Amino acid sequence: MSTPLAAQPVLRLQKLTRVHGSGATEVHALRGIDLDVHPGELVAVMGPSGSGKSTLLTIAGGLDSPTSGQVVVEGTDITTAGAKELAALRRRSIGYVFQDYNLIPALTAAENVALPRELDGTSARKARGEALAALEEMGLGHLADRFPDEMSGGQQQRVAIARALVGDRRLVLADEPTGALDSETGESVLALLRTRCDAGAAGVLVTHEPRFAAWADRVVFLRDGAIVDQTVRSEADSLLTGRVAEA
Amino acid sequence: MKNWFHSWRAAVRIARRDAWRAKGRSSLVLAMIALPILGVCALDLTYRSSELSPGERLERTIGAADASFRDGGFGGQPILQTPQGDNYSPAKEDDSGGWPSGSADLRKALPAGARWITDTQGAAKLTTRHGLLQTDVRELKSDDPIARGIVTLLDGRHPQKADEVIATSAFLEQSGLSIGSTVSARNFDRPYRVVGSYELPDSLDTAQITALPGAFLAPYTKAAEKAGALAPGSSTTYLVQHAGGFTWNMVQEINTKGIAVVSRAVVLDPPADSEVPLYQRSGWGDFNSSPAADAMLLVSLGTVVGLAMLEICLLAGPAFAVGARRSRRQLGLVGANGGSRSHIRAIVLSGGLVIGIAAAVVGTVLAVVLTLALQPFLEEYMGQRFGAFDVRPLELLGIALLAVLTGLLAAIVPAVTASRQTVLASLTGRRGVRSTSKVLPVLGLVALLLGGALALYGSLVTDQFIVVAGGSAIAELGVVAMTPAIVGLFGRTGRWLPLSPRLALRDAVRNRGRTAPAVAAVLAAVAGTVAVATYTASSDAQYRAEYTPSLPHGAVSFFQMEEGGRDVPAVTDAVQRYLSVETRADVSRVAVGKPGCPPWGGGDGCGRYEVVVPAGNECPMWTVDDASEKFTAAQRRKMIREDWRCKESRGGGIYVDGGLLVGDARLLKVLGITDPGAARALAEGKAVTFHKPLVAKDGTIGVKQITDLKAADEAATNRKPVPGKVSSVPAHLVTGDPATYGLQVLMTPATAKAAGLATAPVGAYFSTDRLPSGEQRQKLDAELAKIGAGVDLTVEEGYVSDDSLFMLALTIFAGLVTVGAAGIATGLAQADAEADLKTLAAVGAPPRVRRTLSGFQCGVVAAMGVVLGSVSGLLPALGLRLTEERQQLRFHEQNLAEGWGGDLTPPYVLIVIPWETLAALLVAVPLGAALLAALVTRSKGAMARRAAT
Repeated sequence: MSTPLAAQPVLRLQKLTRVHGSGATEVHALRGIDLDVHPGELVAVMGPSGSGKSTLLTIAGGLDSPTSGQVVVEGTDITTAGAKELAALRRRSIGYVFQDYNLIPALTAAENVALPRELDGTSARKARGEALAALEEMGLGHLADRFPDEMSGGQQQRVAIARALVGDRRLVLADEPTGALDSETGESVLALLRTRCDAGAAGVLVTHEPRFAAWADRVVFLRDGAIVDQTVRSEADSLLTGRVAEA
Repeated sequence: MKNWFHSWRAAVRIARRDAWRAKGRSSLVLAMIALPILGVCALDLTYRSSELSPGERLERTIGAADASFRDGGFGGQPILQTPQGDNYSPAKEDDSGGWPSGSADLRKALPAGARWITDTQGAAKLTTRHGLLQTDVRELKSDDPIARGIVTLLDGRHPQKADEVIATSAFLEQSGLSIGSTVSARNFDRPYRVVGSYELPDSLDTAQITALPGAFLAPYTKAAEKAGALAPGSSTTYLVQHAGGFTWNMVQEINTKGIAVVSRAVVLDPPADSEVPLYQRSGWGDFNSSPAADAMLLVSLGTVVGLAMLEICLLAGPAFAVGARRSRRQLGLVGANGGSRSHIRAIVLSGGLVIGIAAAVVGTVLAVVLTLALQPFLEEYMGQRFGAFDVRPLELLGIALLAVLTGLLAAIVPAVTASRQTVLASLTGRRGVRSTSKVLPVLGLVALLLGGALALYGSLVTDQFIVVAGGSAIAELGVVAMTPAIVGLFGRTGRWLPLSPRLALRDAVRNRGRTAPAVAAVLAAVAGTVAVATYTASSDAQYRAEYTPSLPHGAVSFFQMEEGGRDVPAVTDAVQRYLSVETRADVSRVAVGKPGCPPWGGGDGCGRYEVVVPAGNECPMWTVDDASEKFTAAQRRKMIREDWRCKESRGGGIYVDGGLLVGDARLLKVLGITDPGAARALAEGKAVTFHKPLVAKDGTIGVKQITDLKAADEAATNRKPVPGKVSSVPAHLVTGDPATYGLQVLMTPATAKAAGLATAPVGAYFSTDRLPSGEQRQKLDAELAKIGAGVDLTVEEGYVSDDSLFMLALTIFAGLVTVGAAGIATGLAQADAEADLKTLAAVGAPPRVRRTLSGFQCGVVAAMGVVLGSVSGLLPALGLRLTEERQQLRFHEQNLAEGWGGDLTPPYVLIVIPWETLAALLVAVPLGAALLAALVTRSKGAMARRAAT
């Protein structure tokens, strides 16, 4: 199921460190992280609270900047990019899915999906066309004209995934996308994410549920801001239980 | 460009749906912007609709005629007129000041083949259901095609016979009569039947009746004269129809016969100014408007509009900030999906745009609908019918654009603030102290210093109000800009406060971005209120100090001069019946000529009288043409101060014709004149006078009866003695300059008779034991209206201030703005403080802390605003008063230096601080705002787990 790792990675983190505060309040959130995510690969990041999972994700998406190190998305070093370039990158290359309240309540599902394209200057009609196509492809076409408060949590998260991948975007950064859902719905959301990755996208999934991590090609374990272990999927099932129980 | 458009579309869509979702907040802001727009649009519509085109105006004055001819009143001498015919003067300029007078023959000016009707206007006292009513009487063939448009028949029919009239609805309402009733006039018993009602489109509240030409005024005048009364005069215009109309040349030709013309053709197409001889005269100027006055009006209008927009922005701004803060997560999501700062700004700005457009549409549409619906009431209120409902799309569009602009301006600061947040902070809801601009306070300080210096310069050096006002306005804008910095200073007082107010104050100071606009809004409203209140209180105190009573406190007097004082007994009765009279003093006047003559002469066989100033007693300055040529300023100053002949009698009081009244010692009592010699002198048959220059060397005063008024006027013009018979009366001079309230000479009827002076009753003076109640006044006024006589009634109640209601309204307005602004800021603070409140609850704070905190948050904003506002409002008011003092002082000094006479006491300009208003604003308003906020806050908050970050 995994694609050859030789291809150019969609996301490359190199010697990434992040220090919050200074002096007595100094906190090392990330300590020299190296991580590549390739097209077609879904990487799960696990670790205890405060291990730096979310920081990793926000820096990877350019929402926060590292203290040192490099973040390369589709060949572009985003650590040197300005605010405008970063915003453009988020419109064209990076998609986010958060734990909950992912959708803009004032917009319908289709409009939410079309938002990055419209912000990018695509005409409303074209953007809507692309959004409908994306929804249709994921079997969510019937939700197109519903507002977020008319959808279930699982439906909202699936629409969010559709938005994360609309247009040419190939990188999904999902921060506990199933945290607010019951396990069955959670499974369906992850199934969708898996499908998108299989279709060529690259995904990073932060979670602390081993069950969901099982959907990943690779599981990265973080502790105190450093990667303490990496497991590829073939060995994941046997390893997961013990490791997570420890954490 | 295209990209920009597409991303704005998305922003507008989000803003539009958000506005719809937050209906309460949106409608509040919408109302704030739409209400003034509604008012201004309605004003524009009303103004434009009531503004008549020249054609509409002509229709109401000359009907369907081609021209109206009016006697210029210069005895047929040629005149020059304006193209509109509203202004004219004799063609021959006369330096002696005397103008020809007399009437011209209108018919001689009518061109051959012209068709015409006459329109005569006079007046009469008509009998009504309640008594008598002074009414305009018109004689016009109202159903003639020429008259079409002058009157609008509402009900019934036009008069066909000599004993039929139609009446305006205003007359019918005031008189209590209706169609079918009969009316007659005083001194003229012939009954006229009302056969229809009508209105004058230009003057809806005029009481008027219209009869056929010749049917009323001529017989009425005859009957009135027979009864010894003087009938009011009348004037006739000819409404003329003539094929081809009247050109400007024809109008000028008719002018040579002394006749003024309003010509339809000329009014609709006026000649160039160079073709109007009247305009070419030296000294002719159009005083109605000057470019400077227009510019001034425009500047003040601009200032008012600007300040109003600033106030709305300051009030609405925090509401948008609340919106932006509430949808912080949403804005963060947009950012996470690639929205750049400009996109975030666009979304918040779109909120302003959407509400601005909605307010513009709502305001304009409502204005049109309301103006249309209320048209009859507006017309009644203005007293004239609209010409046509005049909608000027461009003007309305301009006003509507103001609404859009206001919405956008109000959203600018929240938009910039929202866009400055990092996406991460928005998504996680992390709070922090948002730094405020450092440039703004510096700019504000510069404006404050500059404006303050300007105002100071204005009030201490020049006497130009505009400098003070302009300087104060700039300084106030400076204070508004400095508000964030000043709010920071307030924070230092926090450490001495108990928990809730300390939390509230710290929170307000830490979040200046939301506190400052609310404080500034309160500041602006309070400053305006305090400025106006201080100025009004000061001038009110000044008026009170400078008030000169017309009579002793509580005294009452009336004069009734028409028809030889025929109604004096009835009026005296009425006053005694409704007021608590102690002493009554009847007074008469010296009458010259036929009974029924008015005191000032006029009419055939009527004369007047004057009290002679004996030769040698006249002030030298007043007997020459130009005192400033004959005497030096020093001489004039000396005369004014030292020469008893130049001393003017005490000012104030009521106007007493000639200063002479015929009465007895009771009048002295009513007026409070206690000189013991005076009553004795009256009893001895002497006249009592209070004015030394009137007494001749032989101890008499002279009363001159003038019968030939024309000769008298000529003599007066040429500074020659006026011909007339002088009666001398021995006089007693009351010294000590007591207050006589306009009375200079008093003699008894017996003395007057002995001196050969005829008298006529003219009125009475009364002293009362208490001031009349409102009810007594109303009853008396109703009774006087029934009598229908022209009565000059004076009731001395002391100085009555009419400002208290105005001050109260101002205070309430400022209070409302304060509560509104503080409320919005509190709502914003509450939205922010949710997490703090949960923490407080978690550490065991009782539920009421939530209430007290919100109360204090509201109170803190209100208090800061009213303190700053009161200070910034007091200063311009004081500045204005000081300027006024300088101006009056300059006039006074000039007066003294030039020896112009008049009031010699130096002016003093009072400055009064309106403590009541200040106390209400400083104490009651913040307290009320705090209590209100505490009351409307729920003490229980939804306990939710803190958002995971």
